[in-house]
Amino acid sequence: MTTPGGPSTVLHRPGTVGEAVASLTAEVEAGRDVRLLAGGTDLVPALRAGGRGPAAIVALRRVLELRVRGASADALTVGAGVTYADLAGWSLAPGLAAASRVVGSVQIRNCGTVGGALGSANPRGDLLTFLAAAEAEILLASARGARTTDVDGFLRDGPEPGELVTAVRVARPSGPQTYLKIGGRQAAFPALVSCALLVDRVRERVCCAVSGVATGPWRVAAAERLAGDEVDWSTGTAPLALARRFGELAAGGLRAAPPLPEDPRHPADYRVHAAGVLAARAFARCLAGVRRGDPA
Amino acid sequence: MSAGPAGPVDGAEGDDTEGDDGWEPLQYHLNVDGTRRVVSGARLEESLLTVLRERLGVTSVKDACEQGRCGACSVLLDDRLVTACTVLAADAVDARVLTVAGLGASGPAARIQAAFLAHGAVQCGFCTPGLVVAVTDLLGRRPAAGEQEIREALAGNICRCTGYGRILAAVRDVQAGRAPGGSGAPGGSGANRTNGVGGA
Ligand SMILES: Cc1cc2nc3c(=O)[nH]c(=O)nc-3n(C[C@H](O)[C@H](O)[C@H](O)COP(=O)(O)OP(=O)(O)OC[C@H]3O[C@@H](n4cnc5c(N)ncnc54)[C@H](O)[C@@H]3O)c2cc1C
Ligand code: FES
Ligand code: FES
Repeated sequence: MTTPGGPSTVLHRPGTVGEAVASLTAEVEAGRDVRLLAGGTDLVPALRAGGRGPAAIVALRRVLELRVRGASADALTVGAGVTYADLAGWSLAPGLAAASRVVGSVQIRNCGTVGGALGSANPRGDLLTFLAAAEAEILLASARGARTTDVDGFLRDGPEPGELVTAVRVARPSGPQTYLKIGGRQAAFPALVSCALLVDRVRERVCCAVSGVATGPWRVAAAERLAGDEVDWSTGTAPLALARRFGELAAGGLRAAPPLPEDPRHPADYRVHAAGVLAARAFARCLAGVRRGDPA
Repeated sequence: MSAGPAGPVDGAEGDDTEGDDGWEPLQYHLNVDGTRRVVSGARLEESLLTVLRERLGVTSVKDACEQGRCGACSVLLDDRLVTACTVLAADAVDARVLTVAGLGASGPAARIQAAFLAHGAVQCGFCTPGLVVAVTDLLGRRPAAGEQEIREALAGNICRCTGYGRILAAVRDVQAGRAPGGSGAPGGSGANRTNGVGGA
C-alpha cells in the first residue's frame, strides 16, 4: 500500500520483503533519495533536523516476516524488525536479552529494531557491540538476491544501494553471556563504554567486544587468548585474579586500537580504563562466580 | 528469508516533476483517541508529535526535545508506549493512537491522575500527560511492579520539578488502592496490556 504524496514524496508500505525490495529498487533505479524506515527512533528525529527530507521512504513496520525470531539446533535468527522489547525477555538468548534491556527507555525499546541498529551503525550501539562479540552473520536482501556478511564486513561496506538487512544470526549460547555498559542517563543517551562477553564452553573460548574506545566494536584478542588458555574448561570457571588480568589485557589491546575522536569530557585514558574494568567485571560474572552487586 | 526480484512496484506513480519547494502536501487519516481524524497539508517527514499538535490541535501531547529523550510526547500506539516524536505520522495510518485524553475519564488513568494531584506530583505539569500515559502502560502490564521496576519503566519520562519522589508515591498509591490482595502477580509479558486495565 502506498500513500502518494505527489511526485516528490512517496511513502511505500510493503507487506513482504519482496515488496520492500521492489520498492527500494525502483526508487534507487529512478535515482531518487530513498530511506528505509523501521522503528523511527533514529530516522524520524533526523528527518526533522535535516531540512529537506528524502524523496521516498520505504516503511518496514508492516513486513511481518521481518518481525520473526527463531531457534534451530545450533543457531538463533532474529528478524530485522524485531524490537529490543521483543528481545529483552528472550530466555534462549541471554546476552542479546541483556544488551536489549539496557537500551534507552521503554519507549525506545518498544520501537527500536535490530535492522535499525544496523542501519544506523552507531559505533557505540549496544546491539552492534553484542553482535561483534557473538560473531553474528548479517543477512541482506536485494533485487540481486540474498547474501550474508559478518559484522566487520557490514560495518566496513554497509548495505549496498537497494539492499536491506533481513535478519541477524548468532550461534546458540553454549555458556554464560553478559553485557555491561556505562554512560550518562541510559534512557536518553547511548553508552559511553560497553562490553559484551560470551563464554563458549564447547569450543573452550571467550569472546569479548568493547565499544566506545575504538572506531567500532573491538575484539580484545589478547585477553581472549589468555582466557582460552587459562580458564578451567572442565568446570567453566576461573579464579578472580584471572578476571583482573583479562581486564588489563583488554585495556592494553584497546590502547593500540584506532581511536574514536577525542572527547574532552571523556578522555581516551578514562574510556580505556573503564573498558578494562568492564571487561574484568564481565569476565568475573561469567566465569568467577561473581554476582551482580558483589564487589569485583 | 530471501526476496524475489519480482513484485509489484507500489507508489511509483506520478510524473517526475518536482516543484520548487520539492514537496506536495499529503492527506491521510489517523485514528486518535478512537476518532478518525483527517490530516491534510502534511509533509511526509512529519512526526506523529508534529501532526498531533500542529495539524490536529492535540496539545496535551507535549513537545520538548523532539529527540525521543524526554518522554513528554508519550502516547500509546497500538497499545505500546512510544514517543510520538520518533514515529512517522504517515506510517501510523493503520494504528490506534491513544493520548492521555483517550485513556478515559474513569478507570486506571483517572485514578493515576487523581493520585498525581493528591501527592503533588504535578507541579508545572509539563511532563504530566506523558507520565500518566507511561504509568497507565506500566500498571496495565505490571500491576505489582516494585520500586526499582517503576523507576526503570519511567526512566524515559523526564520531570524537572518534582524530583520523582512524589510521582513514585502516586504510583504506589494507585497500586495499593487497586490491588489490596495483590491480584497483579508479576510475570506478564504484555498479554493483558490494554488501555483498560480491568477495573477493581
Ligand atoms: C532517546 C534514545 C535513546 C537511545 N538509546 C540507545 C541505547 O541506549 N543504545 C543503543 O544502542 N541505541 C540507542 N538508541 C538508538 C536507537 O534506538 C537504535 O539504534 C535503534 O535500534 C534504531 O532502530 P529503529 O528501528 O528505530 O531505526 P530507524 O530509525 O527506523 O532507522 C535507523 C536507520 O537504519 C536504517 N534501516 C532501518 N531498517 C533497516 C533494514 N532492515 N536494513 C537496512 N537499513 C535499515 C534506516 O534507513 C535508518 O538509516 C537510542 C535512541 C534514542 C532516540
Ligand atoms: S518531545 Fe518526544 S521525547 Fe521529548
Ligand atoms: S511537573 Fe514540571 S516537569 Fe514534571
